[in-house]
Amino acid sequence: MSATSPPAALRSSTARLIYRLFPSAVRQRILFLLIGNLVLLGYLFFAAWERNSSFWNELSSIAPNIAPQVLGAFALTGLIYCGAIDLSIGSIIAVAGTSFGILHYYDMPPLVCYAGCFLTATAFSLLNGFLIRLLKISPIILTLGGLTLYRGLALIFAHLAIPDFPEVFTIQDEAYQGPGKFYAGEILLVVLIPVLLWEAFGKLPRLWLAVGCSPVACERQGLDPARLRLRAFLFSGLFLGFAALILVTNPQQIKPSQIGTGFELTVIGAVVLGGTNIFGGQGSYLGSALGACFLYLVSRSMIYFGVDAYWREAIEGAVIVVVIGIDCWLHRTEKLLEELK
Amino acid sequence: MIDKVDRAAADSPPLLRLERLTKSFGNHVALKPLSLALNRGKILGLVGENGAGKSTLIKLLSGLYQPSGGEIFVDGQAVQFPSARDALDLGIATIHQELEYAAHLTVAENMLLGEDWPRTPWLATDWHAVHAIARQRLESFGISIPTDIQFESLSAVQKQEVAIANALARKAKLLILDEPSAALTEPEIKRLFGHLTRLREEGVSMIYVSHRLDEIFTLTDEVAILRDGSLIEHGSTRGITAERMVAQMVGRDLEQVFPHRKQRLLGQPLLELEDVSRAGMFHNISFTLHAGEIVGLAGLVGAGRSELARAIYGLYPIESGTMHYLGKPWRPRSAQQAVETGLVYIPEERKRQALVLDHSLRESISIGFANLISRFGFISTRQEKAKVDSVLKTYDVRSSGPDQSIGQLSGGNQQKAILGRWFERNPEVIILDEPTRGIDIGAKAQIHKLVEELADQGKAILLISSDLPEILSMSDRVLVMNRGRIETELIGDEKTEHNVVLAASGLSREEATA
Repeated sequence: MSATSPPAALRSSTARLIYRLFPSAVRQRILFLLIGNLVLLGYLFFAAWERNSSFWNELSSIAPNIAPQVLGAFALTGLIYCGAIDLSIGSIIAVAGTSFGILHYYDMPPLVCYAGCFLTATAFSLLNGFLIRLLKISPIILTLGGLTLYRGLALIFAHLAIPDFPEVFTIQDEAYQGPGKFYAGEILLVVLIPVLLWEAFGKLPRLWLAVGCSPVACERQGLDPARLRLRAFLFSGLFLGFAALILVTNPQQIKPSQIGTGFELTVIGAVVLGGTNIFGGQGSYLGSALGACFLYLVSRSMIYFGVDAYWREAIEGAVIVVVIGIDCWLHRTEKLLEELK
Repeated sequence: MIDKVDRAAADSPPLLRLERLTKSFGNHVALKPLSLALNRGKILGLVGENGAGKSTLIKLLSGLYQPSGGEIFVDGQAVQFPSARDALDLGIATIHQELEYAAHLTVAENMLLGEDWPRTPWLATDWHAVHAIARQRLESFGISIPTDIQFESLSAVQKQEVAIANALARKAKLLILDEPSAALTEPEIKRLFGHLTRLREEGVSMIYVSHRLDEIFTLTDEVAILRDGSLIEHGSTRGITAERMVAQMVGRDLEQVFPHRKQRLLGQPLLELEDVSRAGMFHNISFTLHAGEIVGLAGLVGAGRSELARAIYGLYPIESGTMHYLGKPWRPRSAQQAVETGLVYIPEERKRQALVLDHSLRESISIGFANLISRFGFISTRQEKAKVDSVLKTYDVRSSGPDQSIGQLSGGNQQKAILGRWFERNPEVIILDEPTRGIDIGAKAQIHKLVEELADQGKAILLISSDLPEILSMSDRVLVMNRGRIETELIGDEKTEHNVVLAASGLSREEATA
């Protein structure tokens, strides 16, 4: 059937089918974020021109700066798809940072330290998945426990492994700062492109969405929702591994008691802003990436706009509420009609 | 008397044979030993009140429950279904009453959810092939629905068609349909029946569960009547009368279920609508509702009936026209205002709109009149208890007590509790939206009687229903809506199913203009 149609038409019709995979609410949000990001970039360009500073510097610093948030958002997007969530990702990063610091303390080569950091993050994420499956606890409750438990573990590990641990790992050698300091942007791009292709052509994200819509429907069709959720935690762990690697290798000091605090909330904000339904069933990875980017550009713009630092955080929070609020308000009549169906 | 079931095809084993199949939960026996055979190309109607054991039987056959005893034979082979998947693999597909689907996935994805998806050489999902498979399944069932739209945007009947087409594509030999018509309107049911009769000719067997006996008579070859977990009767549908069927199910006759409306004097006009419109919902609606009158509002789903009711109730404003209530202009700003002045609306989907399922029966009932018995914001427990007890008794809500959570009650009892909640406020105008949908015949009769009594007491009742026998027998006159307009008003002898269906589908107008 496709053999006879010209390649160009085939490509465009495949694109159409992929476009149709996403509910209109998600598509509209993506469109909004695309436009919003462009407008903010336009403002930053204007601001740079006005100050005679380089817009190119501004532009090229975006990817490294948003890398952890975007990767963290990817970690949560798949989980939220299937109606789960992981509130402990900030603390998992603390554990990953601790294992990095310990390995560094014992003079392991950089690659071993990186691997230790990455694998710790993935392992803890998987642990969450296993515990949820085994104990049949709601993800939000289990990972809320993990939020404090894992940070405690990070400190315990540090104290056990290092005599007279000074509460902070100091990393002076730039050889140990590759991913965070020098290659964050590259890592982001290397992950981002496969993820977008996966979103368009993969089956797993679609099954996660199906689990989020209706576990019963999946079961009746012979799928195992619990197994699918566990796989979502595995993938979440992989993304989280990259995020941890970048966050841990950027600063010169890793404080297990502080690193990654509040990371989960920033990331959830980006995911929700990206059009993913917090209760599962619909959303997109592209949206999550754009959402993280939007939040970053808003905060950058506020700096140039001269907004007071105290106000900035408040406004960032307000942006999420306003965007989603406007969206709900615009769709009110639609929803009303849907209710009536 | 009832004919023996046709066993002409007895030389080959029946498609489905149940041998002393039972199911108990602890001490409670949900299904007593049941033996039954079903041949190829036959439709078996399964009837019984809620709690008679129909759902249990269906769940046993679809692999959701495991039998406590007895055996299931498919094509003469003893089989077991440890999971829903195994039943599907043996050719038994169940279309559940509550269709479960991934609302935000496309039609094609929903159809292929549990299967392998075709891939391109570079391991990507071949979306063209996925849609082609789905389209081919729908086409071989004789329907054409775009496969790339969100599943939730399909109409109720389309969702069922997709589910059936998909089941057949997986070589289903036996289709079990649990109340498929509950969410459908009359023309949609006709369309569904068209499909089912065609499938029967192609040799597919079906078990059809419905509360609506007219459907059982139209569609089925055989009927099995369950009561209290036992098979009371199994025989040819032609050999049984409706009266006997109802008597076997509940032990009372049909006249009590659909009482014949006696002529009565109309009182004051209570609610008057003149040229009422709201864009996209309803247009130029005019009618008057008198005290002591039951007016039926018929039409297809989406014709604007519930939308109109909600506007009268004050959930959103009308855009033009005037409404009068108790002789005064009626411009409700909120539903609360409507309730306080004695106009109540009892919505269609009780689970979603009227009930907090986890709440106790007591809370669920008293919420309706809490402000009448509370002082300084506190509810008097004594008064609440007395009132709730009286509601439970008056409206015959069967429960283990006022502290049982309302979600555990049967649909009929839930609905009686809700009606009780609102009727206790002594309202003047009552709008009932599909009050008996999915409710067993016994509770239905009680609700009908209740509504009759209210009309006799001088209340005005607007009855929205897609159940034609119900709306025709209950109403003094029937307004038929189509695409947001009142198409016609039917009084006396004009009140026939034929006329309602014609007007609801807009045919009467087209006929007139043709």
